[in-house]
Amino acid sequence: MPVADREEPPVLRVEALAKQFDGLRAVDGVSFDVARGEIVGIIGPNGAGKTVLINLISGFYPATSGSVHLAGEDVTSLPLHEIGRRGIARTFQNIRLFRRMTVLENVLIADQRHARRPARAFFAFGRQRTEIARAARYLELMGLAARADRLAGTLPYGEARRLEIARALATEPKLLMLDEPAAGMNEEETAELVQDVRRARAAVDAIVLIEHDMSLIQALSDRVVAMDYGRVMAAGTPAEVLADPNVQRAYLGEEGGP
Amino acid sequence: MTAQILNGLIVGSMYALVAIGFTLVLGVLDRLNFAHTEVFMFGAFAGLVAIDAGGIWWLALPFVFVVGGLFGMAVEFISFRRFEGDARITAALSSLAVGLVLIDLTQKVWGTEPVGMTIPGYVTTAGFELFGMRVVYVQLLILGVTLALMASLHLLVSRTRMGRNIRAVADSPAAASLLGIDVRRVTQDVFFVSSALAGVAGLLLAFRTGFANTDVGLTFGLKAIAIMAIGGMGDLRGAVVGGLLIGVLEALTFQFGVGKLGELVVWVTMILVLFVRPEGLFGGGVHVKDVRA
Amino acid sequence: MIQDYLFFTGINILLAWSVYVVLLTGNLSFAQGAFMAIGCYAAGIMTTRYGVPLAVAVPAAMLLSSAAAVLVGFPALRVRGIYLILVTVGVTFCVRIALENVAYTGGVEGLKGMSGTRLWHLGAAIAAVGLLLFLLSRSPLQRILDAVREDDRVAASLGVNLTYVKLLAFGAGAAIAGLAGALYGHYLIFVRPDNFDILVSIFVVLYVILGGVNNMWGPLLGATVMTLLPEFIRALQDWRPTMFGVAIVVMLLLRPEGLLKFRQPSARWSGHAGR
Repeated sequence: MPVADREEPPVLRVEALAKQFDGLRAVDGVSFDVARGEIVGIIGPNGAGKTVLINLISGFYPATSGSVHLAGEDVTSLPLHEIGRRGIARTFQNIRLFRRMTVLENVLIADQRHARRPARAFFAFGRQRTEIARAARYLELMGLAARADRLAGTLPYGEARRLEIARALATEPKLLMLDEPAAGMNEEETAELVQDVRRARAAVDAIVLIEHDMSLIQALSDRVVAMDYGRVMAAGTPAEVLADPNVQRAYLGEEGGP
Repeated sequence: MTAQILNGLIVGSMYALVAIGFTLVLGVLDRLNFAHTEVFMFGAFAGLVAIDAGGIWWLALPFVFVVGGLFGMAVEFISFRRFEGDARITAALSSLAVGLVLIDLTQKVWGTEPVGMTIPGYVTTAGFELFGMRVVYVQLLILGVTLALMASLHLLVSRTRMGRNIRAVADSPAAASLLGIDVRRVTQDVFFVSSALAGVAGLLLAFRTGFANTDVGLTFGLKAIAIMAIGGMGDLRGAVVGGLLIGVLEALTFQFGVGKLGELVVWVTMILVLFVRPEGLFGGGVHVKDVRA
Repeated sequence: MIQDYLFFTGINILLAWSVYVVLLTGNLSFAQGAFMAIGCYAAGIMTTRYGVPLAVAVPAAMLLSSAAAVLVGFPALRVRGIYLILVTVGVTFCVRIALENVAYTGGVEGLKGMSGTRLWHLGAAIAAVGLLLFLLSRSPLQRILDAVREDDRVAASLGVNLTYVKLLAFGAGAAIAGLAGALYGHYLIFVRPDNFDILVSIFVVLYVILGGVNNMWGPLLGATVMTLLPEFIRALQDWRPTMFGVAIVVMLLLRPEGLLKFRQPSARWSGHAGR
């Protein structure tokens, strides 16, 4: 259960966030909070603006207006790497691993001691025992230790998804955002993913989960934000949101549509 | 002074013609075609062949248009077709190698010295006075041809079915392909048009100087790449204005007697533009949108 | 004669490595000839006009090339990789035109009177740069550079400052090119601006592409083969650009990652695991 402490700012606060692409308002004034310890699910039909929202929060797109605060600190217009350093890490809907590098290296890159000081990283040549030991924690957490020396591009789908999570966790973030982690997974893999996300939860302050798969959302999220046409359509507990007539219409409409 | 400006506009219109080709390929296909400068260079030699074959001199223009376009399609086939997405740099390097081969082979046939081109004197030397300034017919020819080509290109892109397909591919090749547009066909069209313009520009330059020269690709032609950046990558209007602007600026700096340092103008301008306004003159460069490094 | 072959091969190896270092972050530089020129002229002016010893002039020249690179690289690297290509082409022209038209650097006539480079100096320089590159390949910096090349935006989201990392590589590459230039001038005794034509820069990039860009040995192989082969096969000499161009096109089609395409991981889970 989320801890409501009046003194502590929420891990993530999104206020009136908007993004305008040429004619289209892809995200149109979205606001929500994520408290410490929470997993917040974001649902909505295709094209509702979920991925654009995650791109705005993580700094991949500059916002047209609105603000993003991380643990009380305004990160809206910070450069991408600064947002990463402040503690937002994410995965990608279309997996974006460093494919020609090994699984271990993918996690090692996220090691902030080196990522923040590239020039000094040169002098750490050699065995790199401490770095590998740190990376090992995350590889083991995601069950990838046996794959450590394989090229990331050769991993099967489910493992590639898990590696993305391990890499994001290795930055030691406050907030982890998962963009459709179950996309393309079968039931068995999705069930494993639920366990993975639960384990990841212990390593971060809060998680934002974008997902189509309702069973995953119900199994994991404490609260759900439903989006459509770039706006928040409903927000609350999973049961409340799924019972919302607008949400039902949007989902039934999608299934009934062409 | 006005004479210098006129001169600048004429050189600038040729820059623009080459820059349009660069920016078209980059804007639509997100590819950098280094062989472009050498197709431009070869335009003059193709024209030489046509004129020496005893034809009517001005028929060399349409001839070079077609030859340039075919060269462009060949470059697309050799250097670009096999590389997609992330292999952009690989394709650019392959086209660079093709350019080197084209220079070398041209030099094998015509030698490394500039080759004279015979055009009737009533074009190259005759002219008239206008507001106290001497205008030579070849200058009018260059302005006329470049303006006509730019206008046709504008119509092609904005009014025709082919233009609509080109714009769709520029927006998103994947989406265009879903709409049933033959992306490969559009790619070939774009390469044809861009290289055809470069070929004609090369011939016009030779009309003006009286020589076909194997050096012009790496000197004159490469400046067009800077002009593309000044105008905004992928921005056709920017390429035209940028070309004319640089032509005039160069002419004026030569006027002020800085000698060969005038050659620096284009590069210095480009670096300044990158500093101040990386999206180009009109901010229409499609390739800096939403980039926050 | 044989000494000259070795010397030019060595210079080309250094230049190829200077391209390779920049390419580690996925950026192409067509200015390595220009940075070589800056190193060459800077060191030459220091030793011939101000009596600075070569051992001091060489590192000073390297620093100067590197500083020039950082200055011009910054606006380009802030935005997108393709801009660096344009800026470096521009730098190559600007440096050449400036050298030809400024009296201080000797103009078109060039600069003369430098001497003092022995073949072993070049050997030592190659060994030193090679050692640094080898250590780099075993360091965390290597994988940061590789990650930036693979997917720069993702690397940035993991906390890597892209502009800084790309500038670091660009500056280091220019320093290596400056080193090559300083040694080059003091071997040839007499240099002119057209020794640093844009074709020099283009050819060096292509050596690297031919050899392979995934490890430090590819550029070494590419530079060595492409420098020495035409010297020993007469037929190749006359058709050098064509043969070379065709070789590049064919190789990119068949083996786009170059002749030596293996990549050594910067760290291993098990120290003795095979490749």
